[in-house]
Amino acid sequence: MARFALRRLGGMVLVLFAISVIVFAIFAVIPSYDPAAAIAGKNRTPELVANVEETWGFDDPLPVQYLTMMKLVFTGELISYSSELDVSEQIWEGLPATLSLCIGAAVIWMFFGLLLGYLSAVHAGRLADRLLTILSVGGISMPVVLLAPACLYFLAIETDLFPTGGYVPLSEDPLDWAYHLVLPWASLAVLFVGFYSRVLRSNMVEAMEEDYVRTARAKGLSEGQVRVRHVLRNSLIPIVTLFGLDFASVLGGAAIITEAVFNLQGVGQYAADSIANLDLPPIMGVTLFGAFFVVLFNTLVDIAYAYLDPRIRLGESAR
Amino acid sequence: MSAPLLSVRDLRVDFATEGGLVQAVRGVSFDLAATEVLAIVGESASGKSVTAQTIVGLTRSPNARIEGSARLEGTELLTAGEAELLRVRGARIAMVFQDPMTSFNPVYRVGRQIVEAVRAHRGEVDDRAARELAIEMLEAVEIPEARRRVDSYPHELSGGMRQRAMIAMALALEPEVLIADEPTTALDVTIQAQILELLRRLNRERDLATVLITHDLGVVAEVADRVLVMHEGRVVESGDLDDVFYSPKAPYTRSLLGAVLRLDQPPPQRPARQRAPLLEVTDLVKDFPLRRGALRDRDADRVRAVDRVSLRVESGETLGLVGESGSGKSTLCRTILQLLQPSSGSVRFEGSEIAGLSRRQMQPLRREMQIVFQDPYASLNPRKRIGQIVGEPLRLQGVAAGEERRRQAQELLARVGLSPEHYDRYPHEFSGGQRQRVGIARALALRPKLIVADEPVSALDVSIRAQVLDLLAELQEEMGLSYLFVAHDIGVVRHVSDRIAVMHKGKIVEEGSAEQVCERPLHPYTRSLLAAVPVPDPREARARRAGASPV
Repeated sequence: MARFALRRLGGMVLVLFAISVIVFAIFAVIPSYDPAAAIAGKNRTPELVANVEETWGFDDPLPVQYLTMMKLVFTGELISYSSELDVSEQIWEGLPATLSLCIGAAVIWMFFGLLLGYLSAVHAGRLADRLLTILSVGGISMPVVLLAPACLYFLAIETDLFPTGGYVPLSEDPLDWAYHLVLPWASLAVLFVGFYSRVLRSNMVEAMEEDYVRTARAKGLSEGQVRVRHVLRNSLIPIVTLFGLDFASVLGGAAIITEAVFNLQGVGQYAADSIANLDLPPIMGVTLFGAFFVVLFNTLVDIAYAYLDPRIRLGESAR
Repeated sequence: MSAPLLSVRDLRVDFATEGGLVQAVRGVSFDLAATEVLAIVGESASGKSVTAQTIVGLTRSPNARIEGSARLEGTELLTAGEAELLRVRGARIAMVFQDPMTSFNPVYRVGRQIVEAVRAHRGEVDDRAARELAIEMLEAVEIPEARRRVDSYPHELSGGMRQRAMIAMALALEPEVLIADEPTTALDVTIQAQILELLRRLNRERDLATVLITHDLGVVAEVADRVLVMHEGRVVESGDLDDVFYSPKAPYTRSLLGAVLRLDQPPPQRPARQRAPLLEVTDLVKDFPLRRGALRDRDADRVRAVDRVSLRVESGETLGLVGESGSGKSTLCRTILQLLQPSSGSVRFEGSEIAGLSRRQMQPLRREMQIVFQDPYASLNPRKRIGQIVGEPLRLQGVAAGEERRRQAQELLARVGLSPEHYDRYPHEFSGGQRQRVGIARALALRPKLIVADEPVSALDVSIRAQVLDLLAELQEEMGLSYLFVAHDIGVVRHVSDRIAVMHKGKIVEEGSAEQVCERPLHPYTRSLLAAVPVPDPREARARRAGASPV
């Protein structure tokens, strides 16, 4: 276990390093990218720009610039070139909204995804299964870019059923918090509900043919016990992998569109704004923030896997 | 005979499938007395498993039509409600299945799965008491250190141990009937002998009526009191053990008995030929690293699958290689063919060294040595036509193209007893035996000198097996082929081999003429292997048991 943790930690450092280099390199080759001019503002003079370059270190060689930036990342002193606000503070401020959105959506998509998948598998081949299949394929084919604005327009702007956006902190008013998040949660979760129900269904249909399920029936377990303890339990193992990776990617940026459409002022929206401004420090910060979660959840998934499937032992290559 | 415990009358089971109606069971009747062992014998698709599973309602589905009657002490099971059936399953009729690896749920501890069975029927028993019962049952089936093993996961037990645990689970509720569906088919012969002994003991000591489903007449002769022979969904013969074996009435029973390859019957005389060494293997070693080190592999973390093996195959002869699972047979074959890189040692083919040759250097030699695999289902690409499969070696080696390739492939099909019209069909349209013929045709395509046959008949029914073995013998005679014939079944090996090598834990422990190895074995392992082979002869089996040969 210690070996495993150490190796994973080393891997995490490597991944984050590689990502930071890639992000940095992308900006280095963008032709219109000129942070000094941006900082100097609209009424800039060549002298002012040169001055800015000097003080911010934009005239240093690229590797030096990279190292300077990384130092700032690790000391938490990275600041935006366009707003000159502290990046870690901005991420921190956006975090409650992003976490509320992602965790809530994840709960919804797991609950409905698994429920629909289970029902679909249990009624496999029958009418209920077919209807659920149509429903989930519909969900999978519904991109957030379409669904989120549609929800906003029809359910908030046109009908006033829901607020048109914004985030209310949970500590301020839990009811209002949830009320503001219903549409974002739904828009983000629909795709995953469809996808997870499909995956669970096919896992379960496959598991029902397993010999150990026949054994479970032969020893006199009721159909419900067989389904839950043997079929569902074993079918959930691959779902754990999916969930870990999907949740991490949603947290790490895949919720950008939802946040932007519903004006949630979360980390994703911060990232979107920074990209529009070609503002490297926040982009670097948010990217590393997201990558950190992806790597972290990947590790958690592996640990959960070894717990869920005793045949897998951590630290050994699969044979 | 007193009133039977289980009475099945005119059982019929049809399944509606996409391919039409499948009549799996077509009128089966039998009685099971309270203390007897009834063997149901048949080849694949004879309906024996469906019969057993239907009795406890495991085949019920909207696609199944079940008719007839199955009474357990007068209670009709076929029409019983689900709740009533649940009380029978596991508690009064317990089942044990073929593959103990896949029959346990891999994610739960063995003890927990036994506890689950107990608690399903006896809600009043708490977890602690159920666990004690599980340990007691594991002890009853002679699992050493049961108190520790109860917390093992299935994959942590050996195959034989798993099947014992499976039987322990079946016995936990003291059922009146045990249905064992091919309980030893997935096990090595020495383990099989132990499990059969266990079943016999349980039947005797616990008055456990047993239905033993098997394809192996040797197993039947070892344990059964009465026999039911099934063929294509019907009972073709039934009677006491000795009657069925010594005076079979049905032609099918006779052909089944005739197809058995007995160790104690002399195999067909093999013609003597002029011989020259074709394949010489010397001190061949194959190691597998268990775990990759950070920088280099450490010696401690490797497993030696093939341990300094030396053997030779002469032209025109068959060397039989026999051993149990995990003995390294398949790894040895692959290493000889350079499909796996040898760790050390020498492999000479027609006098020249081939160990360590690159893929490119091996390419021309691949024509000379071909392989036939065990599983004719898995080793043919389901999306390719038979003709393409057989013609592929010709294409890869640039031997023939276009019409000529087609002609040659059709010739090969004809040669292995298939028809040239089969050229455009797909593998799933063929039976197991036919598919193995396709595999042989593919191996023959390049007119090789050596064919490595890795368990070529293990997946086949006995009647089909005889045909495939005859085909191999014919081809050898005609084309002067040499075979390295690998099998776990020493009866089959004896039947086809000039010489036999016995492999155990990566080493060749004994090598000699087929007759010497089978009749005057020198190594203790060979002796235990031979003693464990069930004899398809009830009198002989009884004599052996009475003599209680201390094996």
